[in-house]
Amino acid sequence: MIDLVQNTIDGVMIGSSYGLLALGFTLIFGVMRRLNLSYGPSIMIGGYVGTVLYVQYGAGPLAVAGTMILGAAIAGIYVERLCFAPMRMGAGIASMVSSFAIWMQLEQAAILVLPRHTYPFPPLTTGAPLEWGPFLLRLDHLIMLGCALGLTAAIQFALYRTRFGLALRAIIGNPVAAHLVGINVSVAVMLAFAAASAIGGVAGFLVLSVDQQVTPMFGMWATLKGLIAMMIGGLGSIPGAILGGLLLGVVEAHCQWYFGPQIRDLAAYIVLFVFLLVHPGGLLGRAPGSDIAAPRTP
Amino acid sequence: MDFYLGLIQIIGVHTLLGLSAYCVLLTGQVSLAQAGFFAIGAYVAGMLTVLLHWPLVLALIVSAILGGAMACAVGFPALRVKGLMLVVATAAFGEAVRLFFFNFTYQVQSGAILLGPHGGEGFRQIRYFPEHGWGTLDVVLFIWTIVVLVMAMLWWMDRSRVGAVLRAVGEDELAAQSTGINITAVKVSAMTIGGIIAGIGGGIFAHYTTHIEHIQFGIVLATFAIAYPILGGLSNVFGTLLAVIFIQGLLIEGLRFLGDWRNLLFGGLIVLAMNIRPRGLLDAGVLMTLKRLVSRNGERKGA
Repeated sequence: MIDLVQNTIDGVMIGSSYGLLALGFTLIFGVMRRLNLSYGPSIMIGGYVGTVLYVQYGAGPLAVAGTMILGAAIAGIYVERLCFAPMRMGAGIASMVSSFAIWMQLEQAAILVLPRHTYPFPPLTTGAPLEWGPFLLRLDHLIMLGCALGLTAAIQFALYRTRFGLALRAIIGNPVAAHLVGINVSVAVMLAFAAASAIGGVAGFLVLSVDQQVTPMFGMWATLKGLIAMMIGGLGSIPGAILGGLLLGVVEAHCQWYFGPQIRDLAAYIVLFVFLLVHPGGLLGRAPGSDIAAPRTP
Repeated sequence: MDFYLGLIQIIGVHTLLGLSAYCVLLTGQVSLAQAGFFAIGAYVAGMLTVLLHWPLVLALIVSAILGGAMACAVGFPALRVKGLMLVVATAAFGEAVRLFFFNFTYQVQSGAILLGPHGGEGFRQIRYFPEHGWGTLDVVLFIWTIVVLVMAMLWWMDRSRVGAVLRAVGEDELAAQSTGINITAVKVSAMTIGGIIAGIGGGIFAHYTTHIEHIQFGIVLATFAIAYPILGGLSNVFGTLLAVIFIQGLLIEGLRFLGDWRNLLFGGLIVLAMNIRPRGLLDAGVLMTLKRLVSRNGERKGA
């Protein structure tokens, strides 16, 4: 019983990082209706900027976090300008293929800058885990969960209570109509992209500071986990992203405990596959078909 | 010379992979599962020739059937969803197949060594070609015979009623449905044809590399599979071939002299190509121009 609860706690903690990754993903997908495969790699670029600062200049965790978020946002704008802004409506697959090409480019750039396979990353907190009855809680995991909930609230507020959020929601509803009422669609989309990558940067920083190392493979990991969590939670739903992340984390933690680490990733895919077939809208998504602009063949 | 023959082999196998995605893309579906069918074909064909000593053609037929059956089985549930959902569902299937082979071990003692797939270490010693005395040239001819056959079949399919039905579903599902086309059946058939082609491609791949590993069949290969037809254009099968030659021949091998910097330029060039030609290198406009050129030449000859 104690194992069961402890696993669930661990799952929720890990899941909050998946939720954060999904948050950025769902923002991009909600606005663009397109899949950005370069989402994780742009976060990884931010992580590499952070680790350079840490290794070369001995910067503290906060400075590393700041530069990492900035780096991820800039990489996100680079991806948007190259793969998404020039493609017209209806060329969704062309954008996806381009973002895949940029993924390879960013990964290679990271390897060129720092050719060793792994690099150290500053831990956020040190010290023994908190004890709460028979259960153990890590402080950095708690910060992760707090950040996930706080950012969800912040994004909900920004989307529904600010002028920029109103503009974004207008673009989500109908880009042409938004353009006609005087919204600068191109700039708004770019800013949304930068914001999404910055959120990804926060998630990436928290994950990397728990792992205390960064590798070029982190980009692919972040894309896949964010994507799965987003799909489970429901496309375009902000609270759904967090919920999907938490569910994914719990399922993975239990599968690892009962079936071993090899089955962990397999379980995530099977859960996703079953979810998509049984309830394609995800936990909190709208009914399937209503919100999906199918990436049609160009 | 062997280098170029090897390159021609790679281009042939990747053309099969691209064509398997091409069939599915014709119906407007984006499938990232092709690498999964490719992996199934590779492992099954390898096990049949190495462990059971079957002849290669028979093994390829079995891997084609299995790839097609798997695609059909995945197609029925997966095609209930479309768009991004389908992309992610098929990607999940592909990754699940890869992780299955990561955990799959079935080895048989043969003389001093163990043969067969061994989990994370992969499946070594698929030595059908050297054991049966096939030279590199023989292998190239064998691969390209199959590629030409598959391309001819798809070319014929494109020109027949089947191709028209596939494209009708791809252009506008609702309109296709209202003319009495059973879109689920059409999509599942396209997926099955794609699975058969990917299965054959995987079987050949296992034999010319002689060593396969789960990591080769990841999401990167799946994205390459759909990148070929998208980059080449969906007007006809030659677009896919052109894109494979462009990516594998020109970008990957041609830029090898750049060393580690290759991938930077590789990504940039694909983005450039997609920006200039979002409908593919060989789109309807280019085909019209080509046709006009050919017919003008014909007139001159006639005159």
